[in-house]
Amino acid sequence: MTLQQLIDACGLEGVLVPDAQAAVTGAYTSDLLSDVMAHCPDGAVLITVQNHKNSVAVCTLVGSPAILVVHSRDIPEEMRSVAQREGVALLRTPDDQFTASCRLGAVFSRAS
Amino acid sequence: MSDAPHTSDARPKGEPEPVAESEPLVLLELIQRLKVRDVMTSKLATVPRSATLREVQELMRKKKISGVPVEENGRFFGLVSIDDIIRALVAGTIDEPCSKHMTTKLVVLEDDMPLSFALRYFDRYHYGRFPVLNRDRRLVGIICQRDINRALLVELTQELNRLETSSSQTPGLDGAYSIYVLREFPICKYDFENAGKAANQIKQVLQEKKFQPKVIRRIAVAAYELEINLCVHSDGGVLSWQISNGRAEIIARDAGPGIEDVAWACRDGTSTANEWIRSLGFGAGMGLVNVKRVSDEFEITSKKGSGTTVKSVINIGEPMAT
Amino acid sequence: MTILDVSEVLKADVLVKGEGCHKAIRHVMASDLMSDVLMVDEEDMLLLTSLASDQVLRTAQIVGAVGVIVVNGKPLPSSMVNVANDLRITLAVSRFSKYDACVAVHAALKPA
Repeated sequence: MTLQQLIDACGLEGVLVPDAQAAVTGAYTSDLLSDVMAHCPDGAVLITVQNHKNSVAVCTLVGSPAILVVHSRDIPEEMRSVAQREGVALLRTPDDQFTASCRLGAVFSRAS
Repeated sequence: MSDAPHTSDARPKGEPEPVAESEPLVLLELIQRLKVRDVMTSKLATVPRSATLREVQELMRKKKISGVPVEENGRFFGLVSIDDIIRALVAGTIDEPCSKHMTTKLVVLEDDMPLSFALRYFDRYHYGRFPVLNRDRRLVGIICQRDINRALLVELTQELNRLETSSSQTPGLDGAYSIYVLREFPICKYDFENAGKAANQIKQVLQEKKFQPKVIRRIAVAAYELEINLCVHSDGGVLSWQISNGRAEIIARDAGPGIEDVAWACRDGTSTANEWIRSLGFGAGMGLVNVKRVSDEFEITSKKGSGTTVKSVINIGEPMAT
Repeated sequence: MTILDVSEVLKADVLVKGEGCHKAIRHVMASDLMSDVLMVDEEDMLLLTSLASDQVLRTAQIVGAVGVIVVNGKPLPSSMVNVANDLRITLAVSRFSKYDACVAVHAALKPA
């Protein structure tokens, strides 16, 4: 599905959406960037609480089109500008990692 | 793996310090709990630098004291003892200003030091008295052995009365109103193998005592966060805790490097942790914020270059009815 | 559902059966940051995490969690089993990714 479809289906906040039509194929939940680098599948939305620019850098490495920041954490300016430059979308939700994962999981399974 | 903690005793790394078997628990708790300022004499007879030794001698005779601090507006210059007077009488210098003959190379104590620390100084130096300074290095009192004896006697009598009253009210109830459980744990810098062990032990003890689960949780969280803080952000230190009079106090004391901006450190999400520490799951910067969150009272004092003391107090309330 | 039930769903190896292994799980947390775990006030919590360290278990004991399931097939340091035994906390390992684990647990927790 597209990023916009995911945002709408899950009620996520689109803080920065450079390409609303970008394809998303699933999600990956982790707060350990080393783990994301090793295992995050291509095209998966990264669900994490790590609200800083390093998360964006890792996403570009693994081909993740978007970061879903949980717990409504602040998006610092540096993170935002790197994301803008790299074309990585920044989404936000008040949910925690578990709830957000379940929510996205439900939407992805309905779509398939 | 890491340097020895800065506590003076050699101890196997990570083992909690046992409660001294030789001293009664109450006495041990008292000398830990009482601070120098609780015990010292603060109504001081002092003299300015210009006062003569004869005037000092007169003061000593009138007030029946054996040591007179030389002080002006709280600024401390030295001490004149009876020995100095006797020497002056023999040398014929009794009419000279005390600034010429006072002792300036002095060991001083700080007013917020626990009495247990002070006792070690008495032991080590064999001086009869110590001037006491506050954190601004102003003279606030003087402490001698007699002060300590008097204070202990008074406190012990009070505790005895308290114990008698509480035990007579509810037979068999071993609650928060008795004095007990006083422990210190040395924490070593970067000792990740043992990080959190002390807090785990504290929680286990609390569960045996049957306090309310929410209270136990708060105490455990405060202890754990403070312990990790000592491990990750200091050069090592001591985590101590005690329960008395319906209050749990957890105190983390270290000797460095100090916090430059205490307000900044207590904010959400700030941290000085490096990448390696973060990879182990620490250092996200919520520690002190979280301690504050679970505490009824929270106090942090720190100076860049010297030590930091963080204190959390949690009111225990009534133990659960058995 | 207990942690043992969840372990079955996640095809997890239960390495240590702790005191809370038969308790009903009241909350699930999927975080890798122990500082976040310490901020939560829930009791009888299940912790799903990619972080494989002793401190995960120590944190779990402090917050009264029923146990820890380490996901992403992380190899555990041998000390973890000892610590789990000392603290009497249930410890299991699963090959599921954290995201897949959340989705699977969610599906299992839903009333039939």
